[in-house]
Amino acid sequence: MPARPPKVLVVDDEPQIRTLLKATLARAGYSIVEASNAREALASKSIDKPDLVLLDLGLPDRDGLELVGPLAAEPRAAVLVISARDQTEQKVAALDLGADDYVTKPFDTEELLARVRASLRQRLVSEAERQVVDAGDVSIDLLERMVRRRGSEVHVTPKEWDLLAELAKHPGRVLTHEMLLRSVWGPAHVGQTEYLRVAIRSLRQKLEGEPSQPRLIVNEPGVGYRLIAA
Amino acid sequence: MSLHIPIAARIQSLAGTLAMVAVSTLVGLWLAPRWGTGPVDMIYLPAVLAAAALWGIGPGVVAGIAAALAYNFFFTEPFHTLRMDRVTDVVTVVVLLIVALVTSRLAAGIREQARLAAAHAARNATIAGFAGRLLSSSTEEEITGTACEALHTLFDCNAIVVTGLPEPMLVAEVPTGNRLTPSDLAAAAVTLESGQSAGRGTPRIQPAEWQFHAVSSKGSVIAAVGLARDDGVPPVDQDQLPLLANLLDQLALALERARAEADRREVTALRDRDRLRSALLSSVGHDLRTPLTAIIAAAAELRQAKAEDGELVGTIESEAAKLERYISNLLDMARIEAGAVKLKTEPVDLVDAVAAALKDLRAGLGNREVTIDLPASLPLVEADPQLLHHCLINLVDNAARYTGEGAVRISGAISRGGVRLSVEDDGPGLPQEQERALDAFMRIEGSDRKGGAGLGLAIVKAFAEAMGASVTASNRPAGRGAAFILRFPSALVVKAAEPVDAG
Repeated sequence: MPARPPKVLVVDDEPQIRTLLKATLARAGYSIVEASNAREALASKSIDKPDLVLLDLGLPDRDGLELVGPLAAEPRAAVLVISARDQTEQKVAALDLGADDYVTKPFDTEELLARVRASLRQRLVSEAERQVVDAGDVSIDLLERMVRRRGSEVHVTPKEWDLLAELAKHPGRVLTHEMLLRSVWGPAHVGQTEYLRVAIRSLRQKLEGEPSQPRLIVNEPGVGYRLIAA
Repeated sequence: MSLHIPIAARIQSLAGTLAMVAVSTLVGLWLAPRWGTGPVDMIYLPAVLAAAALWGIGPGVVAGIAAALAYNFFFTEPFHTLRMDRVTDVVTVVVLLIVALVTSRLAAGIREQARLAAAHAARNATIAGFAGRLLSSSTEEEITGTACEALHTLFDCNAIVVTGLPEPMLVAEVPTGNRLTPSDLAAAAVTLESGQSAGRGTPRIQPAEWQFHAVSSKGSVIAAVGLARDDGVPPVDQDQLPLLANLLDQLALALERARAEADRREVTALRDRDRLRSALLSSVGHDLRTPLTAIIAAAAELRQAKAEDGELVGTIESEAAKLERYISNLLDMARIEAGAVKLKTEPVDLVDAVAAALKDLRAGLGNREVTIDLPASLPLVEADPQLLHHCLINLVDNAARYTGEGAVRISGAISRGGVRLSVEDDGPGLPQEQERALDAFMRIEGSDRKGGAGLGLAIVKAFAEAMGASVTASNRPAGRGAAFILRFPSALVVKAAEPVDAG
């Protein structure tokens, strides 16, 4: 863990949005640098070496999607994309290009901070170090390959485990349908969203208090699933 | 053909013929004392050949007869009489006549061929000129105008172009100022409909003043050309029909080309308009949402700082959320109106869809009770997650708006092989009749004081229908409140998926 507070680069061409994001992030204890266009963002990436980039995709000089790769590249920085609500394809494209997550405009600041925390945690804790992930009253032990609810073991099938483990390795982060299908069922089944739906439903039956009102494994319409970690 | 030679020209050729025979006679008279009368008959041969070759069979025969008579008179014994005693003299006269006949036939044939060749060349030049002028015209107006001009010149008659059924319209004319009689219009209609010629000089609608010919391309008639002469004579001779047919074919090609070009331009214009519209929509969306984002984020900061009255901040937040939903609805409606809704379906779990809608609506729902009854056995449905999301947001928002202090109930069930998802409220219910079509409801409620509902429900209906689902509205059978039901027909129900795995 670095002693300094994590550094966040805010990339947005609207000054009032930058001001508000700065206020929100400062309140949460982050140090902030800002950029109003793609050129400044890339310059800041190499000079300031931010830990996380908050990237608005609507930039004046370049398509924000083009920046996702360069900004996420070495030295590694988490990239959190800000996108309009109805632009599902853009969100999926950003995630495929290496963005860690996204928030939709207009965003809820608490949700934004939760996403920032989740993305930074991902950067700070390597997968090997993370052993147990807690989500509500469910705890997922990645080393023991075991899931417990309120202390007692829950039986899950191998595919359900693979799926749950994949979500638990990235707590709080959205994983696209395609990413999940690829890693759990294999590249030949990336189009078979129904497999994923059925497995998620089954996991919810076993893990959620109220399976028809999920709190642990939530869906982002048209994008993917995320595990809401405690 | 020679019968049509004018009188003056005929007199001229006759005089020339006789002059040549006279000159030949003089030459003969000069030669005879020196060479004898033997070769003199040959002297006449050039005159007969020349007359026949130059002026045709009539002058040729005249030359032959005159030469025979002169030869007989001046050079055969008894001299200065028309009597012939010797067989050789008779043979000479007959030969001269035969030469005149044969030569004039040959010459006439050659002249006719030359005339035909010239006519052919002139026709080709006409067609080529016509083609050139048509090529340089780009619009239908220019092309039909050019065609009328050319037909007017070529056939020395008035030319028009008409199109349109059942009432043909004049689209081009040379010269201008033509008025079509009812029989002309009837003839034009016959040509446009059947592709056959009609009007004056044809078997169809003879009382018409104009003669109409079809301009056809790929078996369909695209226009009709009308021709008429001021003196009422049928405008086109039988032997000019192939030329006319050729010109009409070219006209058809040119019109076809112009129409294809116009279509292409229209498609390009439409595409540009669509591009502009979607650019406009996304920029309007961006421009409206940016300040809203700032307002919502600022309110959240105020709440955190506890610098202001929490209730006021809550008002800012919930009203801003409402505004955001109206903007979304406006943009959705604009997309629907522009036909820009793109469907991208996938198997969807209604549990996911409902949860996502409730999450987005949480600020607007306040602490209203929302009950959800979605059985685990409910099958997946094939839907566009984004469109379904907007449908559910609007349905739940509408229910929350009308239910007052009551609850909102969301339930799913299998029904008639399909899946129904109903959203119920405890509000006053739908006015008047129990069952109403959703659009009728929208018309009445659209002006309701609660506002906004009309647009939201119109979007629900449009998006549901785009996905192949349907929406109905009714009053709940038990007590107060309305129920909006989203139905996914069995075709949209995803059949049981493959087993997830063996374990």
